[in-house]
Amino acid sequence: MKPLTGFSLLRPPTLVGALEMMSTLEHAQPIVGGTDIIPTFKDLGSKPVHLIDLGLIEELNGIMEEDGKILIGPTTTHTQILTSKVIEKTAPALHDAARWIGSVQIRNRGTIGGNLCNASPAADSAPPLLVHGAEAHICSLEEGHWIPLLELFKGPKMTVLKPNEILIGLRFPTIAGASSSFQRIGRRKGFTLSVVNAAVYVERKDDALKEARIALGSVAPTPIRAPVVEDKIRGKKMSEELIDEAAEACVEVAKPIDDVRGTAEYRKDMTAVLVKRALREAWRRTGGEL
Amino acid sequence: MVNFELNGAHVSFEAPATMTLLDMLRVELGVTSVKKGCEQGECGACTVLIDGYPMTSCIILAPQVEGRHVCTIDGLAENPLMKELREAFMENGAVQCGFCTPGILLSAYALLRDNKRPSEEEVKTAIEGNICRCTGYVAIIESILDAAERIAPD
Ligand SMILES: Cc1cc2nc3c(=O)[nH]c(=O)nc-3n(C[C@H](O)[C@H](O)[C@H](O)COP(=O)(O)OP(=O)(O)OC[C@H]3O[C@@H](n4cnc5c(N)ncnc54)[C@H](O)[C@@H]3O)c2cc1C
Ligand code: FES
Ligand code: FES
Repeated sequence: MKPLTGFSLLRPPTLVGALEMMSTLEHAQPIVGGTDIIPTFKDLGSKPVHLIDLGLIEELNGIMEEDGKILIGPTTTHTQILTSKVIEKTAPALHDAARWIGSVQIRNRGTIGGNLCNASPAADSAPPLLVHGAEAHICSLEEGHWIPLLELFKGPKMTVLKPNEILIGLRFPTIAGASSSFQRIGRRKGFTLSVVNAAVYVERKDDALKEARIALGSVAPTPIRAPVVEDKIRGKKMSEELIDEAAEACVEVAKPIDDVRGTAEYRKDMTAVLVKRALREAWRRTGGEL
Repeated sequence: MVNFELNGAHVSFEAPATMTLLDMLRVELGVTSVKKGCEQGECGACTVLIDGYPMTSCIILAPQVEGRHVCTIDGLAENPLMKELREAFMENGAVQCGFCTPGILLSAYALLRDNKRPSEEEVKTAIEGNICRCTGYVAIIESILDAAERIAPD
């Protein structure tokens, strides 16, 4: 393996310090767990950048429930997500996804912010957060603003973040009577990138779907929502037929490619399977019957 | 200069930003129980405990352990739980070439420290990030379950 070369590492203790570095240094890039970034540096050999380690900034880490919203700091690790009772209760899909990311070692190190900002179409945190209506707090030294998480993703490995901006928070509302589920297929059960993944969020009113949201990963250049399908099933009485209809419609939304992890055709087929599983599980979790 | 605790002893080492924790430990400080395998975070041979949590040292930069506690199997030589694990591994033939063993022992140690009587499923999850190309895992899983039973009998 070629040794790493050509970068410096700065470890600011405060957010302002980090933002100053991001705006004054040329080629500055955040690092937290390094589980995405270090392996790519190894492949490339060298890259002339300043790595800004956000790991010491306390205010960027942790999970909080406040005013009907869940707030998650970007440096929160997958292990923190997995062991959080608040997440398990309010966003079961996110809890499920954390279970399947990497291995214990990777979950102890990798962060939710890194997972999103790395912008892999297969990022397992993305579909659960998308269906929970998450927003991302983007900040530079000059200003901060919230955007819908969906708008963060621009393409494979590309976000809308400007060179001086970092992700400083995530939030989504907690809704009574809602639940969610995350499903994925990998080359093996655990410890591998998803070939396809899907998350479903539902709100139940008696035996009807008051609200339904579907997000898919690895079937497009970015993680996507399926609004056409959501509109189709929203307000309808829940049934196995409706689940089949939603799954079929999601196959039309999916625009996957062939790659080393799977063919486009396989991904389309699996999209239907995963959407069915996720809809059933999310529905049951709200106490709904089928 | 990176200042950290290694197996209970204070260490100061002049590590450049581009040096991985694995290289600092294994090449510079001579802790050869930390193995160099894939260097991609995939195989777990380079696993160490950082503040008690298993992590793969090949994808951590050395300066990132400033002020943290790093633990390798060497630091647990006299630890009762680790002794039980080692004995169970030897008795069950869970070691062949031994390359994966330090990493697996650390993953197993962290599991049993926090969960005295894990299920087989929980054992498998705990060592998902440790690849063994010799044993086929059965003896390893049995050893970890055995050690758990000896530490906390029903
Ligand atoms: C063996 C292995 C298995 C894996 N398995 C999975 C898996 O199953 N599922 C999955 O989804 N991922 C997986 N990953 C990928 C990776 O572990 C996750 O994406 C992880 O969450 C990344 O977090 P990090 O803190 O390590 O990111 P880093 O590598 O530190 O950063 C990743 C990227 O995000 C940027 N960044 C980080 N934080 C911010 C911020 N706050 N603001 C702006 N930019 C930021 C960095 O500049 C970099 O470009 C795996 C990785 C490995 C090595
Ligand atoms: S050498 Fe670190 S995980 Fe393989
Ligand atoms: S004993 Fe040889 S790799 Fe596990």
